Parts: sequence; C-alpha cells; structure tokens
Amino acid sequence: MLNLMRLEMKKYHIGSYIKKAVFANFILLGVTFMLIFITKVEGDQDLRNYQAAFGFIDSGVRAVFIIFASVLIAKFIIGEFKYKTITVAFMYPLSRKKLIASKLAIVVLFTFCAIILSTIFITAVFCIVSESFQLLSDPLSFSFIIQRIPVVIINAVAASCIALIPLYFGMKKYSVPATIVSSILIVSVVSSNTGNFSLYDIIFIPITLAIIGISVAYLSFRNIEKIDI
Amino acid sequence: MTYIVKTNQLTKVFEGKEVVSAVTMHVKKGEIYGFLGPNGAGKTTVMKMLTNLTKPTSGDIEIFGEKLLDRSFDVLKRMGTIIEYPIFYEDLTAKETLELHCEYMGYYDKKEITHVLDLVKLTNTENKRVKDFSLGMKQRLGIARAIITKPELLILDEPINGLDPVGIKELRELFKMLCKEYGITIIISSHILGEIEQLADTVGVIKDGRLIKEVSMDAVNRSQTDYIEVIVNNGQKAAFIIESTLNITNFKLMDDNCIRIYDSTASQKVLSKTLIEHDIEIEGISKKTSSLEDYFLKLINGGVVSA
Repeated sequence: MLNLMRLEMKKYHIGSYIKKAVFANFILLGVTFMLIFITKVEGDQDLRNYQAAFGFIDSGVRAVFIIFASVLIAKFIIGEFKYKTITVAFMYPLSRKKLIASKLAIVVLFTFCAIILSTIFITAVFCIVSESFQLLSDPLSFSFIIQRIPVVIINAVAASCIALIPLYFGMKKYSVPATIVSSILIVSVVSSNTGNFSLYDIIFIPITLAIIGISVAYLSFRNIEKIDI
Repeated sequence: MTYIVKTNQLTKVFEGKEVVSAVTMHVKKGEIYGFLGPNGAGKTTVMKMLTNLTKPTSGDIEIFGEKLLDRSFDVLKRMGTIIEYPIFYEDLTAKETLELHCEYMGYYDKKEITHVLDLVKLTNTENKRVKDFSLGMKQRLGIARAIITKPELLILDEPINGLDPVGIKELRELFKMLCKEYGITIIISSHILGEIEQLADTVGVIKDGRLIKEVSMDAVNRSQTDYIEVIVNNGQKAAFIIESTLNITNFKLMDDNCIRIYDSTASQKVLSKTLIEHDIEIEGISKKTSSLEDYFLKLINGGVVSA
C-alpha cells in the first residue's frame, strides 16, 4: 500500500502540489495581515485579539486545504475516470480497491499534513510579526498556544475527512467542476466565520460532516471490483 | 491442444442491448489470433472482458487455464494490452511512463526501456512528454508499454490505427518476431482485412456481437481455388469450344465475354491456342486466385462459406 502511494505520487508529480500549497500559505498570510491592518484602520472590534486572529487563521487554512483536496481528488481520481487513464491503472495486477484506497489516503494525508504545517507556519509568522509590531491588544501566552495544539489536530483530522465529500459529486458524472464547486460550498459551511463564531465550533457539525466524508468515500468505491470501465 | 484463452458463451448486455452474444473463442498458445470485424462489431468489448476491465453479463473466460473472476488480478501481470486507443498519463515523459508501468507490473529491468523504445522505433524520445507525441507515436509507445514486461499474452486492439504504411509494416514484423522468438501469444483486432490476413494464424470473424467464424488461415488458404479467367468476344461460342474440344466441364460463363475455368489441369497455352484456332478473339487471359477478401467479405455480408 505504501509502495502504491509512492507510485501514485510519482505519477502525479506530487512535488508540484507541495509548491502550490506553500504558495497558498503565503497568500493566506498576506490576507491575514491585510485584515488585521484593515481592522486597525477601520477601528473594528473583530480581530483585536489572538483568540479571534487564530480563529481566522484556522478557518482560512481549513478553507484553502479543503478546496485544495478537491483539486487533488479531481486530479487523482475523477480525472482518471474522465480521461479513461483508469483503464491503464486497472490493468495492473493490483486490487482495484487497494489502488483507490491509496489515492484517497494520499488526499487525506496530504490535507492533514498541509493543515497542520500551514497552521504552524502561519501562526508562527503571525505571532512573531504581531508581537514585534504590537498589532494586537492582548499579550500572547505560552499556555494559550499549548492549549491550541489538540484542537488544531482534531480539527485537521475532521477537515481531512470532510474534504472527501466532493468525491461524491465528482464521481456522479466524472466532473471536475462539480468536485471543486461542491468543495467551495462545503467550505462556505465549515469556514464561515463571523467574528468569534464559526459553525465549525459546534462540535456536532464537523464530526457529522467527517463521518459523511468517510461514508462517501466508502460508498463511491464499494463495488469498484464489479464495475465496467 | 493448449488454449491460452478460451471463452464460453460470452455475452455482454449494455442497457438492454446485447453487444456481445454467446462468443465462444479459442486462442492457441503461441499463435497470432486475428480478431476481424467491422466497426462496432463488439471487438473492443470482448477484449475489455478478456482484460477484466468489463465484466461479462453471462458466460465465462478462461485465461492461462484459470477462470477469470472479478478479483483475478494476478493474470494481468502476464498480459500486455492496448484497449481502444493507447491512453497515457500525458504529463509524463516516455521514459517515466515505461518506468512507472514496470513498477506497477512488478517488473524491474530498467535496461529494457531503451531496448523496447528501439524496437518500436521511438529511439531518443525518452525525455519527451507523451502529450507532445503524435497519434502514431502514441500507438508505438502503447505497444512498447504492452511488450516491455515480456508478457505471455498480448491483447492489441486496433494497434495500427494512426500509423503510416511504413510504420504498419515495421510493427507487423515486430509482432511476428515477438510471436516467433519470444513465444508470445497475440490477439490482435482490426477492421482492416489485409492486415489480419498478413499476420494471423487463426482468424475469428465477429459481426453484430457474434463470432461467426473461427478458422485457421491455413484452412482458408487451402480452400481458395485458382482459376483461369478468359475475356473473349463471344462467350457462348468459346464455352462451347472449351467443352467440346478441350473436354473441360468445370468452368463458368460469368457474362457474355468472361469465362472462368476452374479445372486445374487446363493450361493457358493450350486454351488460347485452341480458341484462336476457332476464330475467337481473346482480349485477355489470366490466372487468378479468388482472394481472401472475397472470402471474408462474404462472411461478413452474411454469405455462407465453407473452409
């Protein structure tokens, strides 16, 4: 399975996606600073403290990488069916289920790692800059950061599973746009953030969506050994 | 007789329409099996079923002596295939394509890549991306990919599409070589009769999803009759002379001017001499073999031919 994942990543030049993910990080960082700046100029109450800023970073990272995951799904899975390259893949002496599972595993792991690493990176840069220039009113405490660690990990796990939901829409007609549009709709639910409140904070919502994501992945490929290509 | 592929009453129904009906075919080990049929006859569907891409509605397939099931993955290791048209991950280079293919197939002889590209005359294209290849080049790369792992069975669906005449000839030689020297059994489909005629040891003719004939080329060749065709000014008179003077009865008056003589003992020399002596003008005389094309066209058009 690990070997299969390695081959799949080689096949799709995963390196180019890593570069794109890094690029997305810088954009996100830019947007974060811009919002802080606007907040300051306008004198809004939003984004005045670390709690709100971190909430924004979490939502932003989640949004970016759920959509990013849909691009990966479109390329790794939907595209294979759409452009019939799956006929090549299914003619290898491999279980079809294993092959698809390895593709999904890449998407989930990539999304998970990207969310964790991006959150660390953006938070770190943000904290350094805001501390140096006193951008936010409240002081940054070490325990506050420590408290965030399990939350970030759990949220990343949930988001990686939620990211699989677009697979369902994409597989309907092997449509790349449907995959990506559905991911944007999902993002509008899970990353909506009004000040200090996000739908994602109602624990029931991310957990339910994550379960839906896993079920969708399972149902889409339950009968894969039997279908005609 | 060892059959490498055997199907029994293989049937496939798509949306209520039977596209392959009760196909029972037999492919012997080490032969080139030509799968001949017009476009849309069901060749590709049969080949897809042989490679387990599409599952039969009923009937079964035996490959390498084992029944093909939904989860028969291991047999795929022993096959090389091109189905419909060669499909690639277009962002990869030719070399990457073959490298990855070998890894997926569990074959680890990297030296083969250059060798196989030479075989299909794609030398020095290793680092070119597949999306920059012409159709003919893709076809060659598809063949390279199919043969690189030295499979026991090659399944090639219309492999010469998109190739120029020189390319077709080169590949024909290649297929013959693979069959003879490496003992690879090849199933090759085409709607081009001449191609199958020159390659195949056995021909399966498929029409409207039914395998209407499965016959060895030897048998077809044996059954082909030679005849002498004479074009004269007066067919009736000539026929009378042929019968009465030369005592030949096995001939046929095709029209007013054309006579075909099937008697193998008849000589052109004697024939022309006799006719001229009886004041018959000969416009043409030639020895002909009724072509394989006639044979297969009759089959495909519904005529019954015995071989």
